[in-house]
Amino acid sequence: MDTVKVWDPLVRLFHWSLVLAFAANALVIDDDSKLHQWIGYGIVGLVLLRLCWGIIGTRYARFTAFPPSMSGAIEQLGDIATGRKSIHVGHTPLGALMIYNLLAALLVVGLSGYLMTTDAFWGLKWPEELHEIAVGWTEASVVMHILAVIYESRRTRVNLPRAMITGYKQFPNR
Amino acid sequence: MVDLTRAKSRIPATILVLIAVQAFCAVFFVGDVLADLRDVGMGSLAELHFGIETIATLSLVAAIVIELQVLLRLLRRKAHLEHSLHIAGAAVQAVIDAHFDAWALSPSERDVATFLVKGLSTAEIAQMRGNAEGTIKAHLNAIYRKSGTRSRSDLLSLIIDSLMTRDASAGTPEAAEQPHPVTGFQDPGTTRS
Repeated sequence: MDTVKVWDPLVRLFHWSLVLAFAANALVIDDDSKLHQWIGYGIVGLVLLRLCWGIIGTRYARFTAFPPSMSGAIEQLGDIATGRKSIHVGHTPLGALMIYNLLAALLVVGLSGYLMTTDAFWGLKWPEELHEIAVGWTEASVVMHILAVIYESRRTRVNLPRAMITGYKQFPNR
Repeated sequence: MVDLTRAKSRIPATILVLIAVQAFCAVFFVGDVLADLRDVGMGSLAELHFGIETIATLSLVAAIVIELQVLLRLLRRKAHLEHSLHIAGAAVQAVIDAHFDAWALSPSERDVATFLVKGLSTAEIAQMRGNAEGTIKAHLNAIYRKSGTRSRSDLLSLIIDSLMTRDASAGTPEAAEQPHPVTGFQDPGTTRS
């Protein structure tokens, strides 16, 4: 076993706080409550914090470590198609695309949700519609994310959920 | 060598973007259908409009799944082609090396002969190796003498001729040992990123 420390505490804390907050707002808490709004602000704060950490953070947390790359994504799909196992210590290219997708979607959710509460946009239809579409997209993305993580963990034999808890990725011996 | 696969390398990216766009539409429509179901109940399935809407949405989802399969098949084919090209390239190199061995070329003659086969002129070879042109010409003469040829085209025909007359069973050991390009393609690609 080849063990590499990849996720720093802030990355892990961000990930699981986001999981809890988003699940709470999407599944449990009443949409019209004040708590829903505060958790929403919390999520936007988490995302902004993560954006800063992507610039000044540790090695694998930085955006430069996982730039959005179409060719990388295609290559990873090629690996999946042919049964090759490339080692990605940090985020995989497809995983990186999902991260940017989720960060952007959450910002749209937060912003549209905030607009619904402002006087200027209160009662208008489109912020609410946008909010609902963005939430639907985020929920679908989360489902895709979970399925993809399970699939990739089985395919590459690297336990990705555990890495997000302990911070260490364990690569099988070659 | 001409990269036969490069011309098609944009196709997977285009399909991937299309899939992403369709996925966005599908999420929107599925959300719509689910919301209608929740509001009106299962009875609404009997309504013509809603029934068509549901079928259209499911078709879109099915199309995305099929596209993903096509994309994976395309990538598998691309990897196969690249692999075959790689083997073919290695085989050509092996044939050329075998000739050089048979002619007992010295290391610098080998070098010059390789450039010669790659199509460089005498002046270019001299520049690449940092020699005078006279030196290269002397090497070339030795290469022609040892190989029993009189010119570059003569030498090239000799190599190409041996490439064409070799039957498949006389493949180089390197090529023969490669796993089958379609089934046994299990390179433990070790690109750390």
